Amino acid sequence: MAGRLTLTELQLIIRDSLYMAFPEMHWITAEISEMTENYAGHCYLELIEKQPDEKNIRSRARAIIWSSRYRLLKSFFENAAGQQLRTGLQVLIKVKVEYHEIYGLSLVINDIDPAFTVGDMALKRQAIINQLQEDGVFTMNRELDFPLFPRRIAVVSSRNAAGYTDFINHIRNNVYGYVFYTALFESAMQGQETEKSIINALDRIAEKTSLFDLVVIIRGGGSQTDLSWFDNYNIAYHITQFPLPVITGIGHEKDLSVTDMVAHLSLKTPTAVADYIIECVSQTEARLNEMSADIKNLARVILEKNRNRIESAGMKLMPLSRIMISGIREELSGMIMDLMNKGKKYIYLAGLEQADLSSKLKMTAGSLLTNRLSYTVRTEQNLKRLTDQDIKHKHDRLKTLTNTLNILSPEKVLSRGYTITSVNGKILRMGKELKENDIIDTLFSDGGIKSRVSQLLRKRK
Amino acid sequence: MAKKEFSFNEAVIKIEEILHNIESGELDVDKLSEQVKLASELIRQCQKKLKSTEEEINSIFNDLS
Repeated sequence: MAGRLTLTELQLIIRDSLYMAFPEMHWITAEISEMTENYAGHCYLELIEKQPDEKNIRSRARAIIWSSRYRLLKSFFENAAGQQLRTGLQVLIKVKVEYHEIYGLSLVINDIDPAFTVGDMALKRQAIINQLQEDGVFTMNRELDFPLFPRRIAVVSSRNAAGYTDFINHIRNNVYGYVFYTALFESAMQGQETEKSIINALDRIAEKTSLFDLVVIIRGGGSQTDLSWFDNYNIAYHITQFPLPVITGIGHEKDLSVTDMVAHLSLKTPTAVADYIIECVSQTEARLNEMSADIKNLARVILEKNRNRIESAGMKLMPLSRIMISGIREELSGMIMDLMNKGKKYIYLAGLEQADLSSKLKMTAGSLLTNRLSYTVRTEQNLKRLTDQDIKHKHDRLKTLTNTLNILSPEKVLSRGYTITSVNGKILRMGKELKENDIIDTLFSDGGIKSRVSQLLRKRK
Repeated sequence: MAKKEFSFNEAVIKIEEILHNIESGELDVDKLSEQVKLASELIRQCQKKLKSTEEEINSIFNDLS
């Protein structure tokens, strides 16, 4: 048959065609689905591109990085991307299409742009963060109370990792002499196994949360760190759900992985974690001492305050009592004064009256006396006068009488020519008593005579 | 038989009450002597309580350090 080729001929035509079609290198994007290094240092990869649904494969090709190139690209990529070249990464690579009649198609990788991978990683990381936030769990571990005395520590690390021994040394040999209890829960800290073993370790710790105060996830040492294993939704999610605070010390220069972001605290290195824990205890101790001193001082202050209260009360007691007593005394004095004043007033008024009366009395008595006196005097005078008068009067009377008497004396009467007639010695005044022939005596001033009545003559009335 | 425990606070309140009564002149002279006596006694007891509290606290802190 014409046009019949041998296999080799076919392969060579294909080879040449491809060579013609792709004389130059091309930048392509792909995902590394497999990657191995052989003894010679060459790197063999399988590249794929997934369907939009991220599940099914759309295309696949093998790739090679020759060892000399690989050494360079490997460190270049790690430096720039901050992580190792590994499966699962999306990469932007410069490839040369090669076709070998025996080995078939392979893409020889000549260069790589780490920024693409980084950008992709960053996107992935952001997507994880968003998801965690959407789930409402992002801050949950941070919201746990950090223990005041973090002394019992569950360590998630790899036994042989330098970070682990550093951590243990720092913790055991702290300057304060604090004693910590640590338990190691081993886990792979990089590579494909990371997610599963960390979660497994966390689960084992979760069975014994009452024995621990917190969890630390540490690794590190060495300059190259591949944080991308920790940009992992599952690990992060487990941490958010974990009942104890988680501190990470997984080593990062600039970026934080999602694990770091959801942890209660993220520090650069395992040593930094150890130091932090030691400081916490030290601060709590200082705080306790402070509080103890505060209590002591406050107690003193309270005692002092109460002492002052009592003392001042005691000092007031005596003076106040005195004041009270003297107050009452004054009150009484006041009342007495009042009373006296009222009394005095009364007496005064009464006195005035009395004085009035008295003086009136005096006056009256006086005048009375005076009156009486003058009366007496007058009377006396009168009396005297009268008496004198009287006497005089009497005197005069007497004189008069005497005169009269004189005049009327028988002698005088006789002398005047009168006679006294008597009969039988009895003086006769009336003639009627006489009868005729009575013998009468008649006295004359010079003597008497006896005579007989010859005739009675009657006096006509 | 339950013994009534000395209450510092109550004692202080009572002391201040007595002082206030004396000061304000609301107290009967009849009661003055008795109340002053009571106040003195309460003051004495308060001082005693303060002293013993202070000693207790000091010994607690001594044990601590």
